[in-house]
Amino acid sequence: MRKRIIYLLAGQLWKDAFRSKVMSVTLGLMIFLLIFSTYSGWENYHDQNYTRDIIQDQVQQSWENNPDKHPHRMAHYGSFALRLKHILSVFDLGMENFVGNAVFLEAHKQNTVNFSEASMSTGLLRFGDVSLAMLLKVIVPLLIFYLGFASIARERQNGTLKLLIGQGISRKEIVFGKWLGLWGLSLIFLFSIFLVVLVFLLMESHDTSYKDSMLRFGVLVISYIIFFAILSAITILVSAFSKTAKGALIKLLGIWLLFVIILPKSLQAIGYYLYPTPSKIEMETAVEYDLVKQGDSHNPDDPHFNALKDSVLLAHNVKKVGDLPFNYGGFVMAKGEALSTAIYLEHQERLYKVYNKQNNLERSSAFLNPYTAIKNLSMGFSGTDFKSFLHFKDKAEAYRYKLAQDMNQLQMDFIPNKGKEGPNKISNDYWKKFPPFEYQFLSISKVFKNELISILALLLWSILTVFGLLRLSTNLKAI
Amino acid sequence: MYHLLLKSFFRTKIFWLSLVLLISVGIISILIGKQYLVKQEKTIVAAQAFQKESIKRNLEYHNDDLGLLLYYLRFTLIKKPENISAISIGQSDVNPLLQTVTIRGLEGQKYDANFENPSLLMSGNLDLGFVIIYLFPLVLIAMTFNLYSEEEELGTWRILSAQTSAKAKFLFKKLVVRIGFVFAILIFLMLMASAILQIPYSANFWAIFMQSLLYLLFWSVLCFFMVSLLKNSSFNALALISIWVTLTILFPALVNNYVLNKYQVPEALDAMVEQRDGYHEKWDLEKDATMTGFYEAYPQFKKYDVPEDKFSWIWYYGMQHMGDLAAKNKSAEMKEKIMMRNTISEKIALFVPTMHAQLSFNNLAGTDMVSHLNFLKALTEYHETLRLSFYTKIFDYNPADVIDWETHEAKFYKSKRDFSWLYLMLPTLLITLIITIFGGLNLRKL
Repeated sequence: MRKRIIYLLAGQLWKDAFRSKVMSVTLGLMIFLLIFSTYSGWENYHDQNYTRDIIQDQVQQSWENNPDKHPHRMAHYGSFALRLKHILSVFDLGMENFVGNAVFLEAHKQNTVNFSEASMSTGLLRFGDVSLAMLLKVIVPLLIFYLGFASIARERQNGTLKLLIGQGISRKEIVFGKWLGLWGLSLIFLFSIFLVVLVFLLMESHDTSYKDSMLRFGVLVISYIIFFAILSAITILVSAFSKTAKGALIKLLGIWLLFVIILPKSLQAIGYYLYPTPSKIEMETAVEYDLVKQGDSHNPDDPHFNALKDSVLLAHNVKKVGDLPFNYGGFVMAKGEALSTAIYLEHQERLYKVYNKQNNLERSSAFLNPYTAIKNLSMGFSGTDFKSFLHFKDKAEAYRYKLAQDMNQLQMDFIPNKGKEGPNKISNDYWKKFPPFEYQFLSISKVFKNELISILALLLWSILTVFGLLRLSTNLKAI
Repeated sequence: MYHLLLKSFFRTKIFWLSLVLLISVGIISILIGKQYLVKQEKTIVAAQAFQKESIKRNLEYHNDDLGLLLYYLRFTLIKKPENISAISIGQSDVNPLLQTVTIRGLEGQKYDANFENPSLLMSGNLDLGFVIIYLFPLVLIAMTFNLYSEEEELGTWRILSAQTSAKAKFLFKKLVVRIGFVFAILIFLMLMASAILQIPYSANFWAIFMQSLLYLLFWSVLCFFMVSLLKNSSFNALALISIWVTLTILFPALVNNYVLNKYQVPEALDAMVEQRDGYHEKWDLEKDATMTGFYEAYPQFKKYDVPEDKFSWIWYYGMQHMGDLAAKNKSAEMKEKIMMRNTISEKIALFVPTMHAQLSFNNLAGTDMVSHLNFLKALTEYHETLRLSFYTKIFDYNPADVIDWETHEAKFYKSKRDFSWLYLMLPTLLITLIITIFGGLNLRKL
């Protein structure tokens, strides 16, 4: 293959594209969408994080400003965790609107993460979001198909393909030239969008480390470049093997609908159909059932907690709980909290396993559908996927647990047992010593692990692409 | 004539493809609706059992202290499920079907989220509404984009024009055959849905039915309009798919993004914090700080004494109520903002048939935002009724058995909403008429 010829053919495709009406309409539309989604992405990120930061600070301040009191009251006073958006959510909104944003953290109870945007939205939310990533995932692929469907098929229809071959240009050169041209064309959209994202990364101060977000950004850029290479190759191949340009277009539109709309949605629905999940009330019932079975600290005659009492009394060689060297109420609550949390998390883990099963059908279809690969990968690296949300949720729960147990410990250490002399409250210095909730985003190595399937699928697709272009170009029909 | 056109249509690949696609996806969507209804039923049974069981168990432990007993007891309000909701599941997967609340502060319990897989929430349910709004137009496009251009490109158009003077009529008949086929499938699926999902033939069902027919009529005339431009097949395919993408993906998403950003709801988070602080700070204040506000809200309890130096239930539940009062304004603002989002969306939707269809489906199926807000309102009233009925008995330090616990089963809430046929049908009908006129004018040149 001669480089010069390939560049020449690629350049020709560019010239043709820029002369076509499709391109001018497209460019206009893309510029509008780019501006709109940049603005709305930024506004969303900036405003929401701004509000949440302020509230998180307020929450900490009011925690610290509590007067001297009984530590268990502080355990009930509790705290809130507000979910901050990752800077790259400006690029890909992912599940951002469908997961909760704030959770109340208190003793004895795992609350739900509430106030997702979806819970405050109309049915329009189901039409999807416009984000920069959505343009790259959904709209640009369609444009690639529009701009490339005729590339080879029309040359053949017009008889110019025969002429090219007659002039000594090899079939491979034609196929690779057209492919390179189309790919290059798609990269115009890609780079203009990522340029905007880069500006954000550099300008907007954010919580993640600079290195981490740049790494994520790099992975995203490379992935989308590969994705577009795959799409361009599909376009060229379909065009090369269709009798007419019209036939190529119809096939490509079919592929687009199948890849972007029909397959992902159907597979997600089927996954949900195959692996049913319990409703919230069913899970709560199950949790309570297990809890009562293992030991209910509210039940005065509970065998588990009575045995616990006997063993503690024995170990400290006293007759009454009142004579123990620590506050017995605090001790029982600490044990109860540990028990109920373990049971709750076990059930929650089971629920998430079912979610994973539901999602895996769609996720593993990435090997058949490159769109699925890029969709999941893009969300993962933008910090807007389900795993990122769970990471936040886990951190919030860990904070809640620590808060409750620290307060129980304070009660054990400083509050006298029933019937004994001593103050019923402790100094508010202890609240000030308790650290605020600070969230660190998922580390990039974890994201790589989560998105392994998507990465593998994308790599496999890119190998398949090059292989397909090489093999099939030899069979290109001139007439 | 129709006989021949039908025969030739039945021989096309696209006929079989659409038939299989629409029927199979349609049936799948109905089954998904069925599963959704079954899940609802299971949830309700579980909630009823939960309430019964938990009352029974807690009665054993706290029979002597009604105030403490009611600290733990949870009462359920269930939105009575309607089978019609399975056609358009809408927001009812995001918003819970039921809420179980204690008589403590409501604000902290009211908005508790449902458990649902966010990936599913994001991709949305594959319900019949989706099939109608997204897939049916695609099939219409696939069957009509080359109505004329195919004849032109195959060369049959010239033969035809030599043989008949009513060329426009011929195209029209060809179109009618195809549209008729799509409508037949739609009617079949709707009847299937009503049979499998046991949806009664109520006004709401017919309204969804009519709205679907009208919606497809809109797409039919849109395709007819494209045909009337007499362009080649590639152009038509490209243009129609672009229109489809704009109407079903781009435009609604743009509007949604705009509405979400324009009406952000930080009040939700403020209310959440204010409720907690409004309640908790009272622990550290004089009893009056609680009781003044509480008596103002419920003067009937003034006769109860509140000991200054020790804990009393009236004070405790008074503090709980103060939390709700502290969050009242923000909570109302939040509701207002959400209503604003709804109103603006509905207004814009009047001009965009896809959005109008989706919002009216949800509205008619009782799965939209407004129906959930109404449920929350009912929950607030239910909570107050419960509190007031229990307060006197708690404050009198009655034992738990003065209450007939058998009557405290999970309660159902049934929504009552009217809809206007004019509002429902007129917007899309007008748009359809306008496009028809333009298409007809184009064809006169033929």
